[in-house]
Amino acid sequence: MSSKKRSSKKTEKKAEKKDHPLECRGLHRYLGEEASRVHVLRGVTLTLERGTVHAVVGPSGCGKSTLLYILGLLDSPDSGSLTIGGQDVGQLLDHELSQKRNELLGFIFQFHFLLQDFSAAENVMIPMRKLGFLSQGAMRERASELLSAVGLGNKIDRPSRHLSGGEQQRVAIARALANDPQVILADEPTGNLDTANSDRVFDLLKKIVRERNKALLLVTHNPLIAEACDWVHTMQDGEIDQTMQNMPVPAGHAGTTRR
Amino acid sequence: MPPTIYIALRFITSRKRSLVLSLLGVCFGVAFFVLTQAQTQGFERYFIQTILGSSGAIVITDRYQPRYTGFEDTKDAAFISSSGQQRRKYYEGTTNPNLLMRVARKFSSVKACAPVLKGNITMRSALHTEIASAQGIDLKLHLNATSLGQQIVEGSIDEFRNVPYSLMVGELLSQRLQIGAGDTISVIGADGKSQSFRVAAVYRSGVNSIDESRVYFHLNILQNLLEKPQTVSEIIVSMREPDRAPALAKHFESLFFHRSRSWQERESGNLQIFFALRLSAAITVSLVILLAGFGIFNILTMSVLEKVREIAILRSMGYQRRDISAIFLWQGFIVATLGSLLGAASGALLTFAVSRIPLRVRGILYADSFIVHWSIWHYVYASGIAFLAVLLASYFPARRAANLAPVDTLRGSGQ
Repeated sequence: MSSKKRSSKKTEKKAEKKDHPLECRGLHRYLGEEASRVHVLRGVTLTLERGTVHAVVGPSGCGKSTLLYILGLLDSPDSGSLTIGGQDVGQLLDHELSQKRNELLGFIFQFHFLLQDFSAAENVMIPMRKLGFLSQGAMRERASELLSAVGLGNKIDRPSRHLSGGEQQRVAIARALANDPQVILADEPTGNLDTANSDRVFDLLKKIVRERNKALLLVTHNPLIAEACDWVHTMQDGEIDQTMQNMPVPAGHAGTTRR
Repeated sequence: MPPTIYIALRFITSRKRSLVLSLLGVCFGVAFFVLTQAQTQGFERYFIQTILGSSGAIVITDRYQPRYTGFEDTKDAAFISSSGQQRRKYYEGTTNPNLLMRVARKFSSVKACAPVLKGNITMRSALHTEIASAQGIDLKLHLNATSLGQQIVEGSIDEFRNVPYSLMVGELLSQRLQIGAGDTISVIGADGKSQSFRVAAVYRSGVNSIDESRVYFHLNILQNLLEKPQTVSEIIVSMREPDRAPALAKHFESLFFHRSRSWQERESGNLQIFFALRLSAAITVSLVILLAGFGIFNILTMSVLEKVREIAILRSMGYQRRDISAIFLWQGFIVATLGSLLGAASGALLTFAVSRIPLRVRGILYADSFIVHWSIWHYVYASGIAFLAVLLASYFPARRAANLAPVDTLRGSGQ
């Protein structure tokens, strides 16, 4: 094979990798010490592609949340590799990981985790303030735009504690999108909502992923939500047992999972 | 505004009760520090001013002759006094005082010099007889070197200037002799003969020991009265920067071969008392500020415990450890700044109020109300201690907050 061909293959591979906003290979994680040490993740490999929604399902304690926190750079694997935005994050320092979280990742938690003393808009502006790219006016405008997108355009100045559970979760979605992240990670985002609100929040997330070409990985116990995702990864005892594609996605946007 | 300051402000204002308690602690600490320093230093400064106004920054007194030792005896300890100083032979009074004053005036830090003859005389009024400490002065030079001109409470200095056989008597001594300005009094000098003097003025230096014993005469008149012609017992030296008196006194001593004593040396006993009082007050009030610091430490530690979830959320959104630490340090800084400002304002008001409280002080100084000293340094020191205490108190909770692992909180968190 000529060197030109080799180089073009490398470039293709690199471009392909760059199009995967998140990729992990052979993640292992142990929790606890000595006798109580548990092998929580046993070689998880996963790739997220733009415009796709992935669900991770499985029984409690199977390692779903641990996987999510590792992918969200809030925890470190004991072994394995993790690439976010085309960069291997394994060797990054704590403050560099924080920067990656700020720039490339958006988190949505089951219990929305809003800052209670802050208004809806202020909550959405918190990641933007850290990023520091926008002026106060521009941040406010973007917060207003995001809150309007999640149907809360008329409640942007309302203190978050005065919002309903569904509204708070929608604020959390707007906040996760504040810095236009490549990947959204959600830990049971609808787990604390009634059916109506749950459907509304999930539809909203799906719409955003499609329209804005993001990748969404959500952990859920809700089979209906899982069914509505593009890909469902079933975890058991720290491993992804099965990966299922629920519906066809456009060519070149297929999620792939390997064991 | 940096995000850490913004979040710190929001965190701290959301807990109003804690904020008020923290602010009150710092505010009281700073205010009391300022007040106690203003009071103690006020009395001390007033005392120093009185001393400087009455006896100058340096007093050059007796001439001495160093005891030079022979070559073979230089290592002989017998020539060194028990205090470690070389033995000297002293001669009472100054020698060639005009020359000494002329040389002393060449020093830029010297403001004025005045000769003084000292001796004891007996004063006899119609009702009472008292032994007094007479000081013969050259009025013009003395007024330049001391604050005698501002000490007159009865009569006039011009009367003294114009009448050779006149005197100025201390207020307490005049009360004992039951005399006042314009009266005539008999003065018995060294020869035992009585001579009449007119009381030109009554002065009040503020120091009881002076006001109850000292009488001012014209220098040449007292020289005759004490039969000490051309004699000058001491030279009073006033300085532009009296704090530098010890160094200059030491220099004068070696230069003039005359004993030279700075006001700090002369009044070391009283000054030590003032210093001890000031230090004691400073320590007491610093403890108040430290207590406020402990209060803030508790409040911030509680805040860290309460805000564990918020800290985890901020970390999940990309805030770094140092951002979290900064948020809590800024809270301390805000408390310290506001508390210091409020404390400084309260301290100034309290100081003003205290300066209006009537208080009769007679003894080492004379005052009819609390004497306070206004100095920006009291506010600087008080705020400095407050900042130190509060920032130290904030540091540990801030570090604790920064070291919290967000994942632990998020794993076990629920509403």
